[in-house]
Amino acid sequence: MNASVVRQLRKIVGHETVLDRPEDLALYEYDAGVDKSRPGAVVFAHNTEQVSKVMRLAHENKIPVVPRGAGTGLSGGAIAAKDAIVLSTARMNRILEVDIPNQRAIVQPGVVNLEMSNAVVKYGYYYAPDPSSQKACTIGGNVAENSGGPHTLALGVTVNHVTGIEAVLPDGRIIELGGKTQDCCGLDLTGFFVGSEGTLGVATKITVRLTKLPEAVTTLLAIYNSIQDAANTVVAITQSGVTPAALEMLDGWLLRAVEAAVHAGYPLDSAAVLLIELEGMKEAVEEQAETVKAVCMAQKAREVRRAKDEAERQLLWLGRKTAFGAIGRISSSYYTQDGVIPRTKVPATLAEIERISQKYNLQIGNVFHAGDGNLHPLILFDGRDPQQREDSRSAAKEIMSFCLSLGGSITGEHGVGREKINLMPYMFSEDDLEIMVRVRNVFNPESLLNPQKVIPETRMCREITGPLPKAKVEPVDGVPV
Amino acid sequence: MTTLAAITSIESELASVVGEANVRNEQVEINGVVPAVSVSPGSTEEVVAILRLVSERELVVAPAGGFTRQQVGGVPERIDVLLRTERLNQILQYDPGDLTIRVCAGLRLGEMQRQLAEHQQWIPFDPPQAATASMGGLLATASFGPLKQGFGSLRDFCIGIQFVLAEGKTGKGGGNVVKNVAGYDMMKLMIGSYGSLAVITGANFKVFPKPRQTRTFVCPFHSLQEAINFRNQVIQSPLAPMCMELISPAAGEYLSDPPVVNDPDHYAPAQPTAKPLQEWQMVVRVSGSDNILARCRRELGSAVGRELEGAAEEQFWRWVSDFEHSVNQRHRNAMVVYTHVTIQDVTTAAQALEKAAPDYNFVPAMVGRVGTGNLVMGFVPLPVDPPSAMQYANCASEFRGLLPPGSSAMVVQCPKEAKAYFDVWGSTPTDLKLMREIKHALDAKNILNRGRFIV
Ligand SMILES: Cc1cc2nc3c(=O)[nH]c(=O)nc-3n(C[C@H](O)[C@H](O)[C@H](O)COP(=O)(O)OP(=O)(O)OC[C@H]3O[C@@H](n4cnc5c(N)ncnc54)[C@H](O)[C@@H]3O)c2cc1C
Repeated sequence: MNASVVRQLRKIVGHETVLDRPEDLALYEYDAGVDKSRPGAVVFAHNTEQVSKVMRLAHENKIPVVPRGAGTGLSGGAIAAKDAIVLSTARMNRILEVDIPNQRAIVQPGVVNLEMSNAVVKYGYYYAPDPSSQKACTIGGNVAENSGGPHTLALGVTVNHVTGIEAVLPDGRIIELGGKTQDCCGLDLTGFFVGSEGTLGVATKITVRLTKLPEAVTTLLAIYNSIQDAANTVVAITQSGVTPAALEMLDGWLLRAVEAAVHAGYPLDSAAVLLIELEGMKEAVEEQAETVKAVCMAQKAREVRRAKDEAERQLLWLGRKTAFGAIGRISSSYYTQDGVIPRTKVPATLAEIERISQKYNLQIGNVFHAGDGNLHPLILFDGRDPQQREDSRSAAKEIMSFCLSLGGSITGEHGVGREKINLMPYMFSEDDLEIMVRVRNVFNPESLLNPQKVIPETRMCREITGPLPKAKVEPVDGVPV
Repeated sequence: MTTLAAITSIESELASVVGEANVRNEQVEINGVVPAVSVSPGSTEEVVAILRLVSERELVVAPAGGFTRQQVGGVPERIDVLLRTERLNQILQYDPGDLTIRVCAGLRLGEMQRQLAEHQQWIPFDPPQAATASMGGLLATASFGPLKQGFGSLRDFCIGIQFVLAEGKTGKGGGNVVKNVAGYDMMKLMIGSYGSLAVITGANFKVFPKPRQTRTFVCPFHSLQEAINFRNQVIQSPLAPMCMELISPAAGEYLSDPPVVNDPDHYAPAQPTAKPLQEWQMVVRVSGSDNILARCRRELGSAVGRELEGAAEEQFWRWVSDFEHSVNQRHRNAMVVYTHVTIQDVTTAAQALEKAAPDYNFVPAMVGRVGTGNLVMGFVPLPVDPPSAMQYANCASEFRGLLPPGSSAMVVQCPKEAKAYFDVWGSTPTDLKLMREIKHALDAKNILNRGRFIV
């Protein structure tokens, strides 16, 4: 990076908080996804004014800026464009205000998700969206990705829990969107900003909704001898009239990997388990637990266990939340997908994934938010074997193509980022995308902020989009589609 | 070509797109402005063709659904073409197993609820005039009702949207799955855009199993403060009410079927339709088994004055939803203000109403979602010495001045004559420049609803 720019950056944020030595920059090449690319400099801003000045400087020099929270993103969103300034929010990690009577908190973007909840639990409140990465990921990153989590089935994802945003535009202008009130006059630009993956502005203050802790919580573990029975249970619970707080599935292969790592108490010989959490008033939780248990048994669950205390409950969840880490122990290379399908299609889709796994002779594990049809097939491969690398990509494409053929989405919570940008034309027409670009250009006209993310430039679309392998929408092993 | 000539020539072209029968000269008015011609397309392709025609000629279009909220907003500069969505009323896909539905924009909410009810499902959404309002119109106006407390609003249920820009380009956001972050959230942009960004042609929603049993507890209090204290207790309790509504003393009169009146300007009830209340009421609605209802009864304790269930309960909540409509039916000159405040500022907002209304010869009446801070405030003109047009403006201005910073107070209803004197939308914490630029980016010629919305 140009030495004079680096000097000016240091003037803005302080000497220590600008990195430009290659060995330091190497640490910021990655997020938790697959791509990497080295930034020109990494800048740690401390407050909104500094963000604004950095943005203005970059704007004047036409240098791209890529915001970065904790770097746990799974779609390459925080990966720098070549020679870009990575603007880290790690030092903007203060909770500015906790307003319990109004059920709000105002935070800087670098506040870690779990710390938000920890800060208000003493008042009987918490911050509901709980990505599995919540010990590390930041609220700013959550806002950018509109992150979900196991407990967002009943309570909604990040966008349902953010009412106001202060952001800095690429030219340095500081803007306000919404505030503490649930609604306000005019366009809902707060809602529009959430999920924009750092392509509209850098969020510098976020007003979040706090949720009252439920009176009672119970966790059920339903154990199955067949993954199809587990999948059918998801459909049956959805229709039963009970909306669990969480409804997660782990397949047999994956739960064994998890057991080896953390001993969560999942039965090693099962083909799949469902982790079902119910919360609310004591009486309601008891009744719902009975209903859900009956539904599971009717769908041929081998057994339904109920966590007998908080420790056991935490253990069951530990297994779920460390699933990705557990796979990391087994295979150096794995590819996490994030497709979404209608919930009635969970059984057919799992059968299709099994077929694809056999076709390419690749292990595919399933751990996912079953209750909202958000799949996370993990495709394991040996990164040193070019054939396997190639096959894993083909398998991924086939799975995605199947999801799309069912009217699904390419991403439920991990974002498009850089990784899935080439898939966007399969969901959106050129006109759809062009309209999105027009709105982006209002905020970010030169695309200097997080360039080449989310929306493919229209001209590119046609050139990069080969046909997806045609999905067979036929019954697989007798499972109706 | 003059505008008039352009309209005359366009009528026959519109007819060639939608057929003669679907081009009309309707006797409707929006804030006193009568559309030159009204056209009713039967498909998205026809919407595209119509918008291409009108935007080439730079005519002004007003999209219209159930016509329940057309008077909201500024006085339109002019309306050349009224684009009615009434024929776009199909349910395109309903998957009860997946709890999702995809509909065309002209479908009436009442009809949608009827179809859902056949599968014991519903969309927990009870805006004013639910039977006749169209889904497109409800989205465009970000409508809501008392169920917002327990279930959120359209912003939370709408999972996909399809629309056509003024220039005739189609666009969409989201899809038919309940969790989806692919691309920008165009739903959020369109919800509450008052037909100023695009014509909404269809949308996808999450739907929900319908509660098997509900109960409503009416709790009377002598003062606003006591009612609010009780609300705070309910918020702190383990209860999770579907609705939590505050009803002001004067509002009770409007929670009944409107009388048949010949001249709504001179309605002065000889005999009040309902006993005028002296009290503030907190009304809490919950759902669940007998066991759960018993628990709720215990938690609410001696505050409960009466319970409503069954048809009476349904009727009561319909009246609450239709409060503003009921006020307007009885007093065409009433002013209704949607006031959005933080939960704790509800008290200040209610006091602001009680102060500002009488200062300008209005009777204050309000209902409101006091668990979320969304209040519907009626300023009912006194039959003797009614306020002048200017006084509406002054009253709104005094009321707004009494609200804490960050609040919004949108005047959704008042005589059109008064609109010349003030901005019905009022201030907003959200960046206005960006909003205007978005309008320009999507409708550069200002074809859609010119002069009506904030942008
Ligand atoms: C083990 C594991 C489990 C996960 N589980 C889940 C899960 O359950 N649900 C889920 O949704 N995700 C999950 N994720 C993905 C990831 O944690 C989330 O996307 C998270 O929100 C990213 O936050 P971050 O702070 O790490 O952001 P980063 O990765 O640093 O950045 C993500 C994106 O946000 C942008 N950004 C960051 N801060 C700002 C800001 N202040 N203003 C504007 N843009 C900004 C970046 O430019 C980038 O595009 C998981 C990831 C891992 C590694």
